[in-house]
Amino acid sequence: QQIVVQGSQRVDAETIRSYFGGTDEGRINQAVKDLYATGLFADVKVRREGGRIVVAVVENSIINRVAFEGNSKIKSDSLIPEVQSKSRGAYNPATVQADIERIKDLYRRAGRGAATVSSRTVALPNGRLDVVFTIAEGGKTGVRDIEFTGNHAYSSYRLRNLMQTTEMNWLSFFKNTDVYDPDKISADLEIIRRFYLKNGYADFRIVSNDARYDEAREGWIITIGVDEGAQYRVSSVNVESRIADIDPAVLRSNVRLKEGDVYNGDLVEKSVEGITREVARKGYAFSSARPRGDRNPAAQTIALSFVVEEGPRVYIERIVVKGNTRTRDYVIRREFDIGEGDAYNRVLIERAERRLNNLGFFKKVRITNEPGSSPDRVVVVVDVEDQPTGSFGISGGYSTTDGVIGEVSVSESNFQGRGQFVRVATTLGQRTRGIDFSFTEPYFMGYRMSAGFDLFAKQTLNSVYSVYESRTFGGALRAGIPITDEISLGVRYSLYYTKISIPNDINRPYNDCVFPIPGITPGPYNAGNPPPPGTVLTCVSNGEASVAIKDAALRARTISMPGYSLIYNTLDNAKNPTSGAYAELRQDVAGLGGNARFVKSTGEIRYYYPIFEDVVGFVKLQGGNLFGFGGNKPGVLDNFNLGPSLVRGFAPGGIGPRDVSSGLDNRSAGLGGTTYFGATAEVQFPIYGLPKEVGMKGALFVDAGTLYGYKGKTEFNQALFLPPGTPCQPTLFTSTGVAYTQSNCINVRDEHKIRASVGASIIWASPLGPIRFDYAIPFSKVKDQYVGGVYQGGDVTQYFRFSGGGTF
Amino acid sequence: CSTIESFNPFGGEKYETKLLADEPAEDIYDQGLVRLQKRDHDGAAKKFGELEKQFPFSQWSRKGLIMIAYSNYEGQKYDEALSAAKRYVGLYPSTPETPYAYYLAGMSMYNQIPDITRDQERAEEAVKIFSQLIEKFPKSEYVEEAKYKMNVARDQLAGKEMSVGRFYLGRKNYTAAINRFREVLGKYQTTRHAEEALYRLTEAYLALGITNEAQTAAAVLGHNYPDGQWYKDAYTLLAGGGLSPAESQGSWISRLFRRA
Amino acid sequence: CMGYDGDVYRGYVIDDKTMSQIKMGSSAEQTLVVLGTPSTTSTVGGDAWYYISQKTERKLAFMQPTITDQRIFAVYFDKNKKVQRIANYGLEDGKVINFLDRTTPTAGGETSFLKNMMQNLLRFS
Repeated sequence: QQIVVQGSQRVDAETIRSYFGGTDEGRINQAVKDLYATGLFADVKVRREGGRIVVAVVENSIINRVAFEGNSKIKSDSLIPEVQSKSRGAYNPATVQADIERIKDLYRRAGRGAATVSSRTVALPNGRLDVVFTIAEGGKTGVRDIEFTGNHAYSSYRLRNLMQTTEMNWLSFFKNTDVYDPDKISADLEIIRRFYLKNGYADFRIVSNDARYDEAREGWIITIGVDEGAQYRVSSVNVESRIADIDPAVLRSNVRLKEGDVYNGDLVEKSVEGITREVARKGYAFSSARPRGDRNPAAQTIALSFVVEEGPRVYIERIVVKGNTRTRDYVIRREFDIGEGDAYNRVLIERAERRLNNLGFFKKVRITNEPGSSPDRVVVVVDVEDQPTGSFGISGGYSTTDGVIGEVSVSESNFQGRGQFVRVATTLGQRTRGIDFSFTEPYFMGYRMSAGFDLFAKQTLNSVYSVYESRTFGGALRAGIPITDEISLGVRYSLYYTKISIPNDINRPYNDCVFPIPGITPGPYNAGNPPPPGTVLTCVSNGEASVAIKDAALRARTISMPGYSLIYNTLDNAKNPTSGAYAELRQDVAGLGGNARFVKSTGEIRYYYPIFEDVVGFVKLQGGNLFGFGGNKPGVLDNFNLGPSLVRGFAPGGIGPRDVSSGLDNRSAGLGGTTYFGATAEVQFPIYGLPKEVGMKGALFVDAGTLYGYKGKTEFNQALFLPPGTPCQPTLFTSTGVAYTQSNCINVRDEHKIRASVGASIIWASPLGPIRFDYAIPFSKVKDQYVGGVYQGGDVTQYFRFSGGGTF
Repeated sequence: CSTIESFNPFGGEKYETKLLADEPAEDIYDQGLVRLQKRDHDGAAKKFGELEKQFPFSQWSRKGLIMIAYSNYEGQKYDEALSAAKRYVGLYPSTPETPYAYYLAGMSMYNQIPDITRDQERAEEAVKIFSQLIEKFPKSEYVEEAKYKMNVARDQLAGKEMSVGRFYLGRKNYTAAINRFREVLGKYQTTRHAEEALYRLTEAYLALGITNEAQTAAAVLGHNYPDGQWYKDAYTLLAGGGLSPAESQGSWISRLFRRA
Repeated sequence: CMGYDGDVYRGYVIDDKTMSQIKMGSSAEQTLVVLGTPSTTSTVGGDAWYYISQKTERKLAFMQPTITDQRIFAVYFDKNKKVQRIANYGLEDGKVINFLDRTTPTAGGETSFLKNMMQNLLRFS
């Protein structure tokens, strides 16, 4: 029988006929289905007409263009590939409907669940049509709130704080952590699980986790059901060894948990690692420790036991490094303590993985095993993904000592993929200008010893607290040698040239007693020509540098100083530690050449202790001593010149021995001292009520400390151009007690009194970098006094301090 | 980041009708060629892309596809060139242009081979593609260059094995070093590194104290590369240890070379 | 010395009991079962197997591990795969060699200082 096709325009009749395998009922139905499947036809009807089969088709029209309107969050170019209707393709209502759902899904994932999408067609003169999707994006639909059920031990607030995903609040405009993302939620659940395991809840289980979209509140409601179970304590700890000549008692020392402790998942893991390493050291490279906990639900105790057993005798055939497009192969390979041909040991592989992650060069580090060429061989595959390690830091900052500071720095911590660190930084500020360059090679000559050098040039202008300007440039060679995991030794040699000068101009007349400025310096008055009674302004009263500083300004100094530092560091996190200790002893000897001869030693101990939930206690002790040798008396520039770093609430250089001979303003007359001690106790706590992502922390502290022991010269004839050996001339005062001459000797006020203050601070991890506001009130200081009618200044206080910005 | 995007002032995009004329295939193809002359590779690739999409299952889309690969290759967009070439080879396994597609795919990988301390995955890929080209189209005009480029890529792979071998040698892990140098002798015997591998084996075996292996390695080195600097060094090394490079016939190294 | 976990065993884990089971005339298969795959074999046909083990010690964390003990258990086979000779090499057999640092030149040049710095900057996210 013949098949006649009616109504086909673009698709030729022959192709339609080819779909009909035959003319019986079954074949015809199949053909109709196939024709519809092509999406080219709006309607297909078959009828028998006088012995012939007539196929009447209505073709779908062709789409001219697919367009979108009303979308701003997601651009049209990214929508076009997502929809199935294509320009020059066939218009098919079913596909358009599917496209609408697709667009809605895209918007939901972008945090705009409330978006509505509709479509319309626009007929065009050439018989084609445009498909237009109209989108109303609606408000942001993130996570409205996160609820917990079944949590008794810890509050929902506490658990929410652990999670990456946050609830929507007034900050939603900025952040995107409140967008509903199922992957992030599952990562959060793992964080919560580990948190519970760490705090003794060995039976902890996440029972349910469902996300419900609430049309009314235009957001997601996340409900997490937990079954905490009991908090277990350790009832007994024992180590069993299935290897003949390993004595379990020896391994006991590696177990970090003892009877009575609360069960802690992390410490169990650390104990397993310690035991395995101990056993491997005894030559049983294949063995490993397996933890086992026998629960006693009634007594809520766990009997912990570590079973040491012989693992399979498998060796590493090859270590294959993949994905390192920038980092060089040996930079990765050298982090492995074990190499090819050695016994496979899971613990050492995990340690290498941790080390690689700590390098900070990789977005992802995944170590997997593949079978080797024989049953007892395994190929370790290290798959890494490089991440950009260059950082370009621009930061503004303000500190009461340096005024406004701007710093531009470029640094690269994986230079040329060799793991080397390079940093160039220029500082521009109100009172400081400088540039420094530093380079560090972490594996010097193949040893696990870092070596590097720094070059710097710095210029400081005078400020309220220092009357002189200084220019310094120089460099340092340094090496860092790890002794054990915690202890490391730093060795350095620094050589720098420094010159200070005293400004002596119209608005900074700090040397006009020696070089009078015509029209500005009153007088010159001297013993023979006393100022008229009632004079208030003299060359001393308009601000005069102490004669000790004038002496230091006479000649430039080159300081050639080898030194070492011994560091003990078990802090859990460098940026904001919550537990662990850091202790450092530094000693520098200036005198290997150069014209300064002194030995400077300082020490510092910091100890962090998590008191309660997120509240961290922190104690710091510090001290230092400096003494000259070879007849050299340490002068103003060598001494310790401390202020807020010793006791907060005091101005820079506000503590310590002072030259009180001028009987006047002494803010800039600090001479520094040769010995200091200090102690601080501080408690840091999150500010409740503020959402976590603002990153604000509060702190209360008590500081105490002292700086004393001026051992420098007290006679400075050269500075006042007096012949050497001139005896001390007294400072002459006007009737109103204003000095009008400067003595060639200084009168040092050097008291051993303990200065102390109490205060509070706010620490904010702002997008520009950490900013800290300190407000401290000294309650014990060296006060001003009058001795024999002459005013003698005491410590200089400064209650408020603010420093921030800077690259971290 | 999302913050800037969120307050984009223009509001939604607007729609206005715009007629898209139907251009014949030849014009689009010529426009592509014009853009190629002007070295606007991206524009050319886009034009040939339109060609391929608008005239599916026609010889135009085949032509368009190979030209996409070529434009991307010239524009140094090697990943796009590779995927277009691979699609071409998949769709049209035996057309006059197919060898050229293999060649383009191989060259896209070859041009991205990094130095030996980095992941040599692209070198392996280049070797695989070139060997397919040589095997499937022995008479194609690209076989000559493919052979040469393949050897350079293999040399790079041997270089990587050597660098890892030397790394372990420096750390006195002789087992790892020996196995790496054997890998070079086994798989990359025709590359320049085989000579150094033999010398390094002499060093490693001597350090282990297995002198007969050291002697054999040096002997084979002398036999195959008599006037090379490496042999001189091996000789002095063995002489220092009071041994002369005598080849013990049974050793695997000599048998391996006799077989090559 | 500072209680640092310096000493690490590298390569094949030797234990004398299993070693003693290998006698003259025992077959290659037997050796494979008892001792496992050799660290490296010296013939394509496998007529000499070497089991190499090292004990390295690192007094301080930064030092290179120094080899304090090196033992190689060599098993030589005759034509029909029977153990023909057993040899033990110790640390004293090994020669102290300073390895040549000349290498066969390879392609892929070094990116220059500036290009490397700039390249990273343009890519910072």
